Amino acid sequence: MRETTRGRSIVLHAVVIAGALVMFFPFYWTVVTSLSPGAGLSATPSLWPADSGLDAYRELFTELPFARVIGNSIGLAIVTTLVQLITSATAAYAFSRLAFRGRTVVFGVYLATMMIPLQVLIVPLFAELKAFGLIDTYLGALLPTFASAFGIFLLRQAMNQVPFELDEAATLDGAGHFRIFWTVVLPNIRPALATLAVFAFMGSWNSFLWPLVVLRSPELQTLPIALAGLQGQYTTQWDVIMAGSVVSILPMLALYVFAQKYVIQGVANAGLK
Amino acid sequence: MRTTPLTAIGLAGVAVLALTSCSAGGGGDDGPVTITYTNFISNGGNEENLQAIVDAFEAENPDITVDVTTLPYGDYGTALQTDLAAGTASDVFDIEYTNFAQYQANGVLAELEVDDPGVYRGSVLEAYQTDGAQFALPSSFSTVVLYFNRDLFDAAGLEYPSSDWTWAEEQAAAEALTDQAAGVWGDHQPVSFYEYYKVLAQNGGDFLDESGTNVAFNSPEGIEAAKWLVEKSGTVMPTIEEGQGTPDFDTNLFTEGKLAMLHSGIWVFGTVADVPFGWDIAVEPGNTEQASALFSNAVGVSADSEHIAEATKFAEFLTSSEIMVDTRLESGWELPAISDEAELSGYLELGDPENRQAVFDSLDGVALPPVVAEGQQEMQDIMTEELVEAQAGRKSVEDALASAEERINAAIGG
Amino acid sequence: MSVITTPPAAIPIVAESPATRRALRPRRRRGIRHTLVVVAFLLPSALPLVFFVLGPMVAAAVISLTEWNLLAPAEWVGLDNYANLLGDPATWAVFAHTLYYIAGYLPLVYFGGLALALALNTALKGRSLLRGVYFLPVVTSWIVVAIVWRWLLNPSNGIVNATLATFGIDGPGWWTDPAWAMPSIILASAWKDLGFVMVILLAGLQAIDPELVDAAKVDGAGWWRRLVSVVMPLLSPSTFFVVVISLINGFQVFDQVYAMTGGGPGGATQVVVQQVYDLTFRYGSAGEASALSWLLFLVILAVTVMQVRGQRKWVNYA
Repeated sequence: MRETTRGRSIVLHAVVIAGALVMFFPFYWTVVTSLSPGAGLSATPSLWPADSGLDAYRELFTELPFARVIGNSIGLAIVTTLVQLITSATAAYAFSRLAFRGRTVVFGVYLATMMIPLQVLIVPLFAELKAFGLIDTYLGALLPTFASAFGIFLLRQAMNQVPFELDEAATLDGAGHFRIFWTVVLPNIRPALATLAVFAFMGSWNSFLWPLVVLRSPELQTLPIALAGLQGQYTTQWDVIMAGSVVSILPMLALYVFAQKYVIQGVANAGLK
Repeated sequence: MRTTPLTAIGLAGVAVLALTSCSAGGGGDDGPVTITYTNFISNGGNEENLQAIVDAFEAENPDITVDVTTLPYGDYGTALQTDLAAGTASDVFDIEYTNFAQYQANGVLAELEVDDPGVYRGSVLEAYQTDGAQFALPSSFSTVVLYFNRDLFDAAGLEYPSSDWTWAEEQAAAEALTDQAAGVWGDHQPVSFYEYYKVLAQNGGDFLDESGTNVAFNSPEGIEAAKWLVEKSGTVMPTIEEGQGTPDFDTNLFTEGKLAMLHSGIWVFGTVADVPFGWDIAVEPGNTEQASALFSNAVGVSADSEHIAEATKFAEFLTSSEIMVDTRLESGWELPAISDEAELSGYLELGDPENRQAVFDSLDGVALPPVVAEGQQEMQDIMTEELVEAQAGRKSVEDALASAEERINAAIGG
Repeated sequence: MSVITTPPAAIPIVAESPATRRALRPRRRRGIRHTLVVVAFLLPSALPLVFFVLGPMVAAAVISLTEWNLLAPAEWVGLDNYANLLGDPATWAVFAHTLYYIAGYLPLVYFGGLALALALNTALKGRSLLRGVYFLPVVTSWIVVAIVWRWLLNPSNGIVNATLATFGIDGPGWWTDPAWAMPSIILASAWKDLGFVMVILLAGLQAIDPELVDAAKVDGAGWWRRLVSVVMPLLSPSTFFVVVISLINGFQVFDQVYAMTGGGPGGATQVVVQQVYDLTFRYGSAGEASALSWLLFLVILAVTVMQVRGQRKWVNYA
C-alpha cells in the first residue's frame, strides 16, 4: 500500500516536471537562438549557443530604434495603468458607496461594455481619432484604454467587502466622500488595486491591434509592433528576431517575478467570483 | 506638492514619453526642411544603393533632409493605405503602376510640376498621367526573365534556354534537371496573380473583358495557363509544404545551386551576382506568343504634404538624376525609366549575366498587369489565393478559376 | 492579455450589513451637492466609455451602412454590405476558421489545464515553482508567442521537425501547409494559455470542501468516480468561467494569426478579426469591415447569452 502511493507520487512528479520542462523549452530555445549568429541557415540546430555572441542584440539596438521602442512600451504601460487605477477606483466607489437614481442600470451598461471587444471598434475609433488629430500620437494610443469595465468590476467587488461601518465612523469624524474614498476605502483594497495594476500593465504591454493601427511612425512604435515588423525585415535572420523576443520578454518577466503572488492570486480570484 | 510613490511613478511614465518624443524635431518655415520618403523598392538588398542617391540629393540641397523609411514589400500596401487614411503618409512614397489609378482617383496624389519631362521614357511617364496632368514619376521599370544555372545544364548535357524556347522546351529541360534525391529542382515560378496574368498573355488569353469590370480568364487558354503555373509544384518545383512561396525561398534555392531555372525579376541580379557557379538569363519562354511581365514603380507626392515643392524636387532627383542612373545600372537594380538610350547601352557591357540583351529583348513583347477602377488589391489577392488552392491540390484548376471568376467579378464590378 | 473581457456572468449580491443599507437607502432630497459628488466619481470612467466604446459602437453601425474607403467621402448603401457579406463564401469561411480555432483550442487548454490542476492540487514538492513555470507563457505577449512558435515549428530547420527527424519522422510543413497551419496556431495558443486555465481550475479545486471528497472515498468510490461525480460538479463554476472567457477571446483571435500566418497560407487561417483588419486597411472597405464587426459582436453576444442561460442546467453554485 505505502509502496504504491510512493510509486505513484514519483511518477506524478516525473510527469509534471517533464511537462514543466517542455513548457519552459521555448524560452530556452529563444535565448539560445538569439546567441547563435547564422541560426536559421544551418539545417542542424544545436542545443547550445553556436558561437556565444551578442551580435544580434547589437544589430537590434544599432540598426533599429529599439531602445526608444522599449521606452514607448514602458511609458504607455505606466500611464495606462495609473489612469485605469483612477478611473476604475472612482467608478467602483460610486457603484459601491453612493446612492443615486439609475445606479443599477448604469452599472449594467458599464458591465455590458466588457462584451464589446476593441477589435470590433477599429474603424470608428480610427475615424474618431483622426478627426481629433490624434493618429500617430501617444495620446491616441492611450485614450481607448483609459476606462476598463473589468477593472471597475474587480474593484467594486473588493470595495463591497470593506465594512460600511468604517465609513460611518469616518463620517462621524466629519469626513466627506472624497476623504472616505482616499483614507478609508482605498487603503483597504490594496491587493485588488495591485491585481488591477498588474492586469492593466500586462494588457498595455502586450496590446497589438490598436497600437498597430494608430502608431504610424517607427519612433512611436511599441515592442509587439516592432517585433512583428522584424519578421518581415529579417525573414531568415532568426537570431535577430529571437533577440527582439528576448528583449520584449525580459521586462515583463522581471515584473512577473516581482509580482507573481498578485498575478496568480488575481487570476485565481477572477475565476472564483 | 507632496510626492507619493504613486505620483512619482506617474511622473516617470509621462517623463519617459516626453523624453522619447523630444528627439523628433521639425524645421522652420523657410529654414531647413525635412521631408519623409517611404519605400519598398530598396528592401532586400538595395538599401545602401538608395542611401547613396539620397546622400547625393542632400549634398546638392543642403536645406533639405530626407528621412527614409524602408518597408518589406509584403507590408507596404497595407501600411500605405493606412497612412493615407490616417493622413500620416510620407511626403514622398512609392506606388506601383497597378495602384496608381485608384490612388489618383481618391485624390491622395499631388499634381507634379515636372522641370524636364524629356528625360523620362515617354511611354512610361504617360502611364502616370491623368487627363494630361502628371501625378507620379516613374522610378524604374523591370522585367521578369528566366535565370538558369549553367553548371547544372552542362552536367546534364542540355542546351541552354534561348529566346525561341516555348513552354514545351522549358518543361522538358525542367524534368530532365530535377533530381529530388539530390535536392535539385528543375524550375521555379511563383504561383501568383503577377505570374498568372503574364502566362495568360503568353497563351493568348485576356484577364479582363472589354468592359473592364468582368474577368475573361475562365477560358480554355486561361485553364491551360493556370495548369502550366500550378502543376510544376511537386514535380519540377518544391511544394508549399517544402517552403515554396515563402519570401526569398526561390532566390535562396537558386544561389545555393539547387535550382536549374528561376523565373524572377532583374532586381535580383545583385543578389545572385556572387554565386560560385555559372549563370545567365534568357527571355521567358512563351506558348502561343512571347510576353514578359513589365513592372513599373513610381513615386508620388502626398496631396497633404506641407512641403510639396521640396518633395517634388526630391521625387525628380530620385527618378531622373545621373547618380540614380549610375547607381541603378552598376548595382544591377531595376532599370531607370529614362529616355537616354546611350546611358542604358552601358548596361549591356557590365557582365554577369552575360546575356543582358535579353532584358531589352523581353521588352519587345510585354504584358501589362490588368488594372481595375475598384478592388485592385482584392482582385490580386483572390487570384493568388485560388491559384494556390489549385496548387495545393485542394481544388481542381477548373474549380479554382470558376471560383476566382465569381469572387473577382463581385469585387471589381460597379 | 485579453482577460479584460470578463463577462458579467454572475454578479454576486453582497450580504448587506445595516450600515450598508443605511448608506444606500434611497432618500428623497440629497441635494445638488450629492449629485455633484456622484458626477465627480463617475465622470473619469464615463467619459472614456462613452467616447471610446459606446459612441464608436453606434458609429460602427452607421458606417456599416455605407461604402467608405477611408479616403473619399462615404456613400450611403443601406444594408448592401450585410447582403454582400452574407452572400460571400469568404464570410462563412472566416467564421468557420474561427470556430475551427475554438474547437481545437478550448478542449486542449481545458483538459490540459485540468490535468495539471489536479496534479498540482496534490502534495507535490516544489509546487509553487512548477506553477510559476507553467504560468510563465501567460505573461508573454501573443506576438512573442507567435514568433517563437514560428521558429520552433519552422518546417525546414526548426527544432521540432529536427527532433522528429531523429526519430525517423518526416515532420509536417506546419504553418506553411494549409492543413497544418491552424493546428500550429492552436498549439502555440494552448501553450500560452495552459497556465491561465490551470490557475483558475486550481483555485476552484482548492475551494472544494475536502470532506465531501473524503465522504465519497469512505463510500468506496474510486479516483475516477470521485472526479466525475464529486469534483467536476463542484468545479463547474470555474469550468463555466473558463469556457465563457475562452469563447469570447476565441472569437476575437487575431494577434497570433497575424504574426504567425497573416491568414495564410492560401487563406487557410483567415479569421474574422484578420478579415476586419484586411477589409479596412488593405482593401479600403471600411463599411464592409464595420458590418462584419457588427456580425461578430452579435455572434459573441448570442453565444454569451446562451452560455449564461444554459449555466443553470449544469453550473452548480454551492
